[in-house]
Amino acid sequence: MTKRSLLIGTALAIAFASIGYGSSRFWAYLVYAVAISSIGAMSLNLLIGFCGQITFAQGALIGVGAYAAANLGNAGWGGLVALLGAGMFGALTSALIGLPAMRLRGLYFAISTLAAQFILSYFFKLLEPLTNGVSGLVVKPLVLFGRTVKGDQEYAVICVVVLYLSWIFLSRLTRTNVGRAFLVIRESELVARGMGIDVARTKMQAFLISGFFAGLCGGLLAFTSRLASPEAFEISLSVDQTAMIIVGGLGSLAGSVVGAVFVALLPEAIQRFGELLPSAALVSAFREMAFGILIILFLLLEPRGLVALGQRLWRRQRNETTEKAAELPSNATNENHGNSAIPALEGRKA
Amino acid sequence: MRKLLLAAAIASSAALAAPVSAAEITVCTWGTITGPDALVNGMTYGTRAYLEYLNQSKGGIAGNKIKVLLLDGRYKLDEELKIYRRCADQEQAVVINGWSTGASKALRDQIQQDGVPFISESFASEVLDPVKYPFTFIAGPTYEQQMIIALRDLAAKGGKKVVLMYSDNEYGRGPVNVVKQSGIIEKLGLEVVDLVEYRFDAQDMTAQLLRVKAKNPDLVYVQGSTPQLLVVLRDAAKVGLPASLFVGNFYNISPAIPQQLGAAADGFRAVQTYAFFGDPIAAMQEITAYGKTNEVEKKDIYFLKGWLKGKVIAESIAKAIQKSGGQVPGDIQAFRKLVRDEMEGLKDFDTGGITPPFTYADHQGSVQARIAEIKGGEYVPVGNWIDAR
Repeated sequence: MTKRSLLIGTALAIAFASIGYGSSRFWAYLVYAVAISSIGAMSLNLLIGFCGQITFAQGALIGVGAYAAANLGNAGWGGLVALLGAGMFGALTSALIGLPAMRLRGLYFAISTLAAQFILSYFFKLLEPLTNGVSGLVVKPLVLFGRTVKGDQEYAVICVVVLYLSWIFLSRLTRTNVGRAFLVIRESELVARGMGIDVARTKMQAFLISGFFAGLCGGLLAFTSRLASPEAFEISLSVDQTAMIIVGGLGSLAGSVVGAVFVALLPEAIQRFGELLPSAALVSAFREMAFGILIILFLLLEPRGLVALGQRLWRRQRNETTEKAAELPSNATNENHGNSAIPALEGRKA
Repeated sequence: MRKLLLAAAIASSAALAAPVSAAEITVCTWGTITGPDALVNGMTYGTRAYLEYLNQSKGGIAGNKIKVLLLDGRYKLDEELKIYRRCADQEQAVVINGWSTGASKALRDQIQQDGVPFISESFASEVLDPVKYPFTFIAGPTYEQQMIIALRDLAAKGGKKVVLMYSDNEYGRGPVNVVKQSGIIEKLGLEVVDLVEYRFDAQDMTAQLLRVKAKNPDLVYVQGSTPQLLVVLRDAAKVGLPASLFVGNFYNISPAIPQQLGAAADGFRAVQTYAFFGDPIAAMQEITAYGKTNEVEKKDIYFLKGWLKGKVIAESIAKAIQKSGGQVPGDIQAFRKLVRDEMEGLKDFDTGGITPPFTYADHQGSVQARIAEIKGGEYVPVGNWIDAR
């Protein structure tokens, strides 16, 4: 992680925590909904985008975390224990789901994770003593350091802090040998073996770490929604999370966050815009269609996601500015002291 | 970096300065406009229609225009939780009309904390407790009460053996468990000969219905939604079980059943808790008047339920304004509390014939229902109103 990205990340975290804490409950809700989704998307991106292990069990893993946190919290454990417990249960379950990855690859492994999603969904309905079955488990409010968290604004701050810490951890991880090994495995397991990477062990590490953050995401979801219900952790949640990393950018942590922001806020933006239209049904249909069309457009035009698109635009803008500055005669250059491109150009010449 | 921090600071202050108007009468209603149970969203449209009808015909409530917000919850918990916050906080709604059982449960503490009158479309008994949840209301008999009405009807006709069929979600399992554990089935002299659970998205129930046939019951009560009922009745006909053996709840009074199944649906019964669309009642005259200049989105029993809720909301708001000297209270919290109190205080309120007179002290209003049967492709009442208590 560069100093610059750390600074930007910290500034954004402070800004969003401030928005969440200082604004109305609706905005606070949006802030924590995006933060929670971002944690889930980062965990999924680690597995799919970095390590190349396609999984469809993300929704169920988030569910495991939610039920774990709900049970621990309802049993009187503090929020920290409940959230860490959610992460641990998520990690263990993810490791179990990842076991077939030792033998299966690609689509075959993906299908096995799909089966895991359905099996876990079934358990959520069946294990009534732990999940309260189809009725869903009502969750007590989060207790952090002996104090009950009250209101959406406080939840917004907590979720942004957890997102920030998760981002720092994962960001650092991707720059370690383990993180680099993930990338090699993604590109070619054969090459990874040739390079002396223990593929099975590295994959299992990816599942454990990814599962921990998926569980953490579920824990936060349980405490903020106050209900852990099987219907909330079905395949549609896995699809939403996958959409986030596709839209944001596969193999990019920033992309996961951008994708989560986009997927969580775009429907709301379309809704507000559509409210100018006379028909509620039309607004809703428009919202669903626009969302689907945008995802198709991303896959066709910029499969690397919004982050890559942003980078491309920024680079183009920078090149244009540089070219313009280069075209300027030397006397004009001296007159335009305010042009930010000029010192850069001069610096390069030097 | 400086620009970034500046932008973040501007965004924070803009959010902090979001204006809120407390004097506006805003009523918020959300339902499934697009989603799995959109078939019954007349309940949402009906409420908006009545309040718009008041705006157009009487200039609102006590001279104050009503802003009605209709939103799509898509039957998704996160979407409904978001909409609730928008309604309670951003829109400063004086009354909120929500949708699913899940959201009503997840929000039940929040609703009391916010002190906002909340009418849930759910009939689940879990959200109904006037002491514990004084701001939460439903509008009609619970699922359990509807089931009991059907069972009482069977007992009165001398029936004995019952099969309970239900979907594998909360809507299906919850009420069946409550009724089973209450002991009322035994008290009525009935016997549950089988419990048949099916997937809520099941497309074929031949196996389950063969099992039902083997038990030779006097009645099969189905706790399911209309799409499921279509499968049940279609496959029942396949295995030779008549539709007259089956009874469903209020959500099975759908024109889709006779339309799609034709003669195979004849004899199917459902628990009717509101008047039918088109019945000769005073509320229908209002709807006809409204329909002259507006589109009536849904012409079914659910629209009438929505119309009823609109009437109840408007009456409570009108009484609250009257109590505060004919003015809309400036403090939204005080206004909400007044409206809640007036809502709870409604006694023998005339619903224009949609239900028998409505008393809201129990937060249910009407707990009366009657059995309706499909005859010649139409639902026809086949009994008198029965009190479910």
